Amino acid sequence: MEQEEMIVIDNVSMRFNLGIEKNNSLKQIFVEFLKGKKKDKNQFWALKNIDINIKKGEVVGFIGSNGAGKSTLLKIIAGVMKPTKGKVKSYGNICPLIELGAGFDMELTARENIYLNGAVMGYTKKFIDSKFQNIVDFSELQEFLDVPLKNFSSGMIARLAFSISTIVEPEILIVDEILSVGDISFQEKCEKRMTAMMSGGTTVLYVSHSLESIKKICNKVIWLDHGVIKEIGGKKVCDNFEKYMLGGEKNE
Amino acid sequence: MKTINELKSIYTKYNFLIQQLITRDFKVKYKRSFLGVLWSLLYPLMMMTVLAIVFSNVFRFSTPGVNYLVYLMTGLTLYNYFSEATNLAMSSVVANFSLINKVYIPKYVFPLSKCLFVGINFLFTLVPLYLVILFTGTGINFWHVLLPIVFICLFLFTIGIGFILSTIAVFMRDMFYIYGILISILTYMTPIMYDINMISKEFQMILKLNPLYHYISFARTIILYGECPSISQFLICIATSILTFIIGIIVFKKNQDKFIYYI
Repeated sequence: MEQEEMIVIDNVSMRFNLGIEKNNSLKQIFVEFLKGKKKDKNQFWALKNIDINIKKGEVVGFIGSNGAGKSTLLKIIAGVMKPTKGKVKSYGNICPLIELGAGFDMELTARENIYLNGAVMGYTKKFIDSKFQNIVDFSELQEFLDVPLKNFSSGMIARLAFSISTIVEPEILIVDEILSVGDISFQEKCEKRMTAMMSGGTTVLYVSHSLESIKKICNKVIWLDHGVIKEIGGKKVCDNFEKYMLGGEKNE
Repeated sequence: MKTINELKSIYTKYNFLIQQLITRDFKVKYKRSFLGVLWSLLYPLMMMTVLAIVFSNVFRFSTPGVNYLVYLMTGLTLYNYFSEATNLAMSSVVANFSLINKVYIPKYVFPLSKCLFVGINFLFTLVPLYLVILFTGTGINFWHVLLPIVFICLFLFTIGIGFILSTIAVFMRDMFYIYGILISILTYMTPIMYDINMISKEFQMILKLNPLYHYISFARTIILYGECPSISQFLICIATSILTFIIGIIVFKKNQDKFIYYI
């Protein structure tokens, strides 16, 4: 069966300027202007010529050591960053769970934050109204609805955030290391919801350092290493990665 | 034209987000104050009373033929909108970096929502202004129907400047300090508390380069003198505001993709 393509990543490269932080003040610009030096020594290619095609319904796991470019790639797919070179095309609405609760305001109550965060994700008021009870039920925070978020525990905030993020069934779901929050029972609930979404045909991009969970839910694994694709394949990639990482440690 | 259409489509799509950001600003601003939104009315009224007392009694400023309090308040109401909105718009993008870094949101939304938020506050400050207009016997005339034109011009000008400032602030945080100095220079360079005819002719030329002067004098022509503003006044106000608005959008749009590297 010919599957529909959901995301096409075409020769994407991403360059960061590591020294950019220092360039923020007038003094620096002035000093550099006087010295007449241009700083492009500190360039760092986070991603180099990445080509990936992801089809509808695929659950893709991204693995790799810290700084391999996993999160950068997901941010590019989500549209948060623009790649230095290359193009990303996605067909379908994307729901990024890159970091939960990005749009929360700690001064406002949970109820107010549901609307604010929903708006940040691009939903209409009508839509949030209709899903409001679902969100509250899933998060199990009924009694705390009118408490300002600053009085919430981090686990409670994560619950609320997860509940809001997954109220729609997006065509593409981007998950970056989030299931580590909340207590065990809630984690299980999250996993169940995600599995339900996946079986419903949602394309999922999943980043995790837990190879266990990648093996459990992904049917395609991409191993990134220093900005290049080292291997694409099935669950076997996880084993190769594990061997590589452990082997590397022994050699050191 | 293309950018205006784009802005319109973004506005309709992210309409609810802008509403939410504005309500958030209101809620956070008045949280835990007893008088709440009432401060939007009381604060400008009291501030202006203080200024009016100082300038008319201590410095003995006066404006022949018209009421000084109304003269001062008309200028201040418009000027305060500009100063507060540009200040908030300038920091809006930087303040929301955590959001920009995680979710895709058109970045226009932040300066725009700040200018709208202060705009709603501005409408509140019209209440004390009109109270003063009535109590001092200046009275309301037919030409007041033209005032919304200058309000819209002021809004477009402010958001244009807000776009430019928020862009600069991302790349250069010094802008927060520099703008603080600039705005206090501008306060004295704009004939708010004094009459422009009090100063020398050459200097007047410089002051007239400031679009804010023209918006304020447009409003004063109507409120204080009960006259219809001249065609040149109309043209200056409309042209400067639309021009600034367009420049602001272009500057912002050209740079917005680079914002993320300067977090």
